[in-house]
Amino acid sequence: MNDGTMPFYIKDCTLLTKMSGLSPAFDMRDLRDRIALCRPAVIYHHFCETPLAPTFDYPDFRNDFAVWVKRQLEDNVLAERLGMIDPYQFKSLEDLRAFTLDIIDERLCESYVMSSVPPGHEFYFQEAITMVFETGHVMHHPGEMLEIMALLTNSSIYYHFLEARRRTPGLTDDFSLWMENFGGEWESLVKTLRTIDFIFYSLPELKQELLYVLQQNKGDA
Amino acid sequence: MTAYSIDLYRDVVGDPVVDQLRRLGERLQDVRIVHVNSTREGGGVAEILNWMVPLMNDLGLNATWEVIEGNGDFFTVTKSIHNGLQGYPVTLHKKDWDVYEAVNNNNIERLAPLLGDADVVIIHDPQPAALLKHMARRRGMWIWRAHIDISRPHHPVWKALKPFVQEFDAGIFSLNSFAQVLPHEQFIIAPSIDPLSEKNMPLDKKFISGVAREFNLDQTRPLIVQISRFDRFKDPIGVIEAYRMVRRVNPVQLVLAGSGATDDPEGKEIFDEVMEAADNDPDIHVLLLPPDAHRQINALQRLADIVIQKSTKEGFGLTVTEGLWKGKPVIGGDVGGIRLQVISHYTGYLVNSPEGAAHRIRYLLHHRAKMREMGKTAREFVRENFLLTRQIREYLTLFLYLLKDRGHSVFV
Repeated sequence: MNDGTMPFYIKDCTLLTKMSGLSPAFDMRDLRDRIALCRPAVIYHHFCETPLAPTFDYPDFRNDFAVWVKRQLEDNVLAERLGMIDPYQFKSLEDLRAFTLDIIDERLCESYVMSSVPPGHEFYFQEAITMVFETGHVMHHPGEMLEIMALLTNSSIYYHFLEARRRTPGLTDDFSLWMENFGGEWESLVKTLRTIDFIFYSLPELKQELLYVLQQNKGDA
Repeated sequence: MTAYSIDLYRDVVGDPVVDQLRRLGERLQDVRIVHVNSTREGGGVAEILNWMVPLMNDLGLNATWEVIEGNGDFFTVTKSIHNGLQGYPVTLHKKDWDVYEAVNNNNIERLAPLLGDADVVIIHDPQPAALLKHMARRRGMWIWRAHIDISRPHHPVWKALKPFVQEFDAGIFSLNSFAQVLPHEQFIIAPSIDPLSEKNMPLDKKFISGVAREFNLDQTRPLIVQISRFDRFKDPIGVIEAYRMVRRVNPVQLVLAGSGATDDPEGKEIFDEVMEAADNDPDIHVLLLPPDAHRQINALQRLADIVIQKSTKEGFGLTVTEGLWKGKPVIGGDVGGIRLQVISHYTGYLVNSPEGAAHRIRYLLHHRAKMREMGKTAREFVRENFLLTRQIREYLTLFLYLLKDRGHSVFV
């Protein structure tokens, strides 16, 4: 139970993309070799930080590798397999890397011809710097969450709902983790927040879903 | 320079986005930023600096904008450097590079006190890149901001320029494909537009109709518009070829409009070539507009059924962003930053030839509902990704990163 000393300080973050220093990939083999070699931050960027980078929202696939394989290599099978990877299910980025390499290796074994792309259509490996800062918004009780949520930027939602899964013990979001401290009354909302299938939401859509869930919960209460 | 407040953008992007910029600005109070480029008006860089500098000041930073002074010889050389970096096989001799360095050296006498004390100096494009070499004393971080497509430069030109560029502390490129092998960190920041500038603000119908009358445009017939400098990489001749192919089956009109820039001595030559290709066709309107004709350009883009930007090389293509923001589908060359904005079948079409452009113009003119749907998608795509608030946020993030302890996740 919360003893009244654990306020929730709302944070925000901004993202700055930079080049990884790796050569670009022109075919599936290049892609595999660079993924095997790159820093974990590169894996994280292309799987998880895509929603924060200026980009067109492709509803089909939620990671950069799958989008490139689909649009440029035109290998639909590999694109579908990569597209279904949920990066938040893995305990570490090394596990995610190993799983991704396994999928590409499997496809390499199946492929008799390996297509490559012309210059201008290659895959560039990037990583990002995340700048995290306090917003000044503080919640003292879960009942305040609906009102606060409406004020949050997309990047704040990203930080507390998605990026949180990288640093919280149960690989969960900050909101439900904090709410656990307030006892049984909030259990059902904790469960609902944790069952949101967020992978296919853009950040504005995710914010709307969170607002909807909180609104529904308020109505039920 | 305009003097307005970031708060004016609340209606366009929402309160959370503006509040976020204010919070970032609080952490950079009085940090001295100096931008340096080579022209006060004409072209995308001057347009960006025209709003970026006052808005950085409004957020609490101490930002200034300096323009290097050069003569005709210097700008002829720098235009060749510009063309060479974009892959055009130009020849530059030692005497040309001597002119380049000498003019930069002359400017340093005037600018050294300001640049020496700045916390961050941003040098835009190659023209002032040699300033750093001549700085005897500096305390801040120097960033080279390349706005042009240097993905496949003419090697001798890049080889000669690289020694100036590699001394910088960081680089910024509009696209990942433009980044080069350099010893410093290279950041990716796409440019953006100001939705409240004269070029992008909403206009009343009366003014728009007035512009149509001013330029003898028939509002009952389809209109294709390309706005850009008269530059060979914008391929105005290719646009005229595409227009002629469409014209066989549709009474379409074409506007090719642009203004000159003080750092672009080739503009007159290309303009003359375009006039010759237009061959007095009354439905091809080649307009050389003054640099401050922003409202007219805004109106021309709003009059267009389709905006075209058939570049063969393009850094980013702010005119593409402008067209998308006005809810127009854009037919763009499959190059550079246009690829980031024109998503085929969603916001317009990428094309690789005059034939491709003609094909897509004809298709869209036959599918008006598709045009409207694309236009709606295009406007929201720009709102989310390519308005100035996003670009300022990334610059402020970069300043915080460069001036604080470095790491992948930085708490400030």
